Amino acid sequence: MRGLTRAFALGLVLAFIGAACTGGSTTPSPTVAPSASTSTRPKFDLATYQYSLQTKGRIRIGTQEDNTPFSVKNPATGKWDGFDVAIGREIAKAIFGESDDPDKYIEYVPVTSATRIPSLTDNKVDVIIKTFTINDDRKKQIDFSDVYFSTGQRILVKKDNTSIKEAADLAGKTVCAQRGSTSEKNIATATNGAARPLLLDSYPACLLALQQGQADAISTDETILFGLAKQDPNTKLVGKYFSTEPYGIGVKKSVGGDRTGFVDFLNRTLVTIITGGTWAKFYEQYITPVSFDKKRTPDD
Amino acid sequence: MPGAIAFEFPELYFTGLWLTIQISVFGLLGAIVIGTLVAVLRVSPIAPLRWIGAVYVEFFRNTPLVVQLFFLFLGLPLIGLRFSSDTFENIFRAAALGMGLYHGAYVAEVVRGGLLGVDRGQIEAARSLGLSYVQMLRYVQLPQTFRSVIPPLGNIGIALVKNTSLASTIGVTELLFAAEIVESRTFRAEEAFIAATLLYLALTIPLGFAVNALERRMLVAR
Repeated sequence: MRGLTRAFALGLVLAFIGAACTGGSTTPSPTVAPSASTSTRPKFDLATYQYSLQTKGRIRIGTQEDNTPFSVKNPATGKWDGFDVAIGREIAKAIFGESDDPDKYIEYVPVTSATRIPSLTDNKVDVIIKTFTINDDRKKQIDFSDVYFSTGQRILVKKDNTSIKEAADLAGKTVCAQRGSTSEKNIATATNGAARPLLLDSYPACLLALQQGQADAISTDETILFGLAKQDPNTKLVGKYFSTEPYGIGVKKSVGGDRTGFVDFLNRTLVTIITGGTWAKFYEQYITPVSFDKKRTPDD
Repeated sequence: MPGAIAFEFPELYFTGLWLTIQISVFGLLGAIVIGTLVAVLRVSPIAPLRWIGAVYVEFFRNTPLVVQLFFLFLGLPLIGLRFSSDTFENIFRAAALGMGLYHGAYVAEVVRGGLLGVDRGQIEAARSLGLSYVQMLRYVQLPQTFRSVIPPLGNIGIALVKNTSLASTIGVTELLFAAEIVESRTFRAEEAFIAATLLYLALTIPLGFAVNALERRMLVAR
């Protein structure tokens, strides 16, 4: 019996070590840029940050693990997917050259809304691509690329609701939103304070309130509503945007030239992605299944 | 002046304060009624009643208040129960009831201690004088209990006033909630929460004094 317990314990220890080793080896080694022949690589000015990334052979992309449809890490395969992830891969290709598997150049760093700015300023990531709204407060601390995705606040109601079609229809209705968010303020502005805000801690709680008829509508960024609508097919999104949330790629501010030319490079890359039709392809692949519309550019 | 922000947003702060007071009052009354009933069950001579009392106390004392509030707000409608068809009335009643149920378990334990503290001889004397069990409770055991449990009840009352802040999690726009809204609108976090703190103190400190005064008045030489 004792022997058995020991054998079991030893097995556990070995399993742990094994897991630790495999875990470590998935991180690409910083110095190797495998199989990319130097000839296909884009040429950069030596002073630029993209050149130093190219020399290092990897880019650290900060994004979120559970932000459908923008970024998701598949828990089974460990593979990342989503609109933001696809944009990240295009940027990796623009730095390291065309590749079937740009992930070999990418180190994904999981971030949350609150850790986005600190992970840039602490130099834990090279770029943040995570439904990151460009605004003036944030611009004081970090730099943003141009807009690569534009969204805004909309309304989620039950499928059989015919009385709420636009933000103005929310007057007198109970509207659920997250407390501490700007969504509540936008609702108040759009209805001249005539909506009755029910403010809860999370959007899943709002969804439950909507399902039970305790809230007539949920209103926040369309991207969050997409996720909720996917969870409950008995709901639908209505109305036009009544606030605008432009997403950009976040980059650390250049201090002593340590990010020279990087934002310009990202903007040029984004232009290529958008004008070349790749953007529209990603939109159709990731966003259309939940939004049921099609766009060719972020400005559509 | 600290707390001055409350007068910049009187609508939020003072309606919030008023809701906090209402939930506290209803919650405390509910807790005392429920707690007394449960305590009586717990010392009753009938075993199944004692078990019911014990289950109540263990359940409500050992689960988080936030979870109970969420159950009352979003759980009960799943089985078709709602306190009011108006959402805001519903969350208010859920909050007040939640305060009563949760703190009732604590009151029950305090009152039970008080009931057990009454001299056994008095109970036997009352019964031998021909008082029924209920009469004995009403005229002998409970009056003495209430006098002795005033200080611990005061503690529970103060805890209850502070715990009403948890009602904000189910959307009741009480005092803490008001402070959070002001904070998210003005980004003046320190001021917003200092004002809320001062207003909570304005409720709890006088409550403490009132309990002490009541205790002195009811004090009996034993």
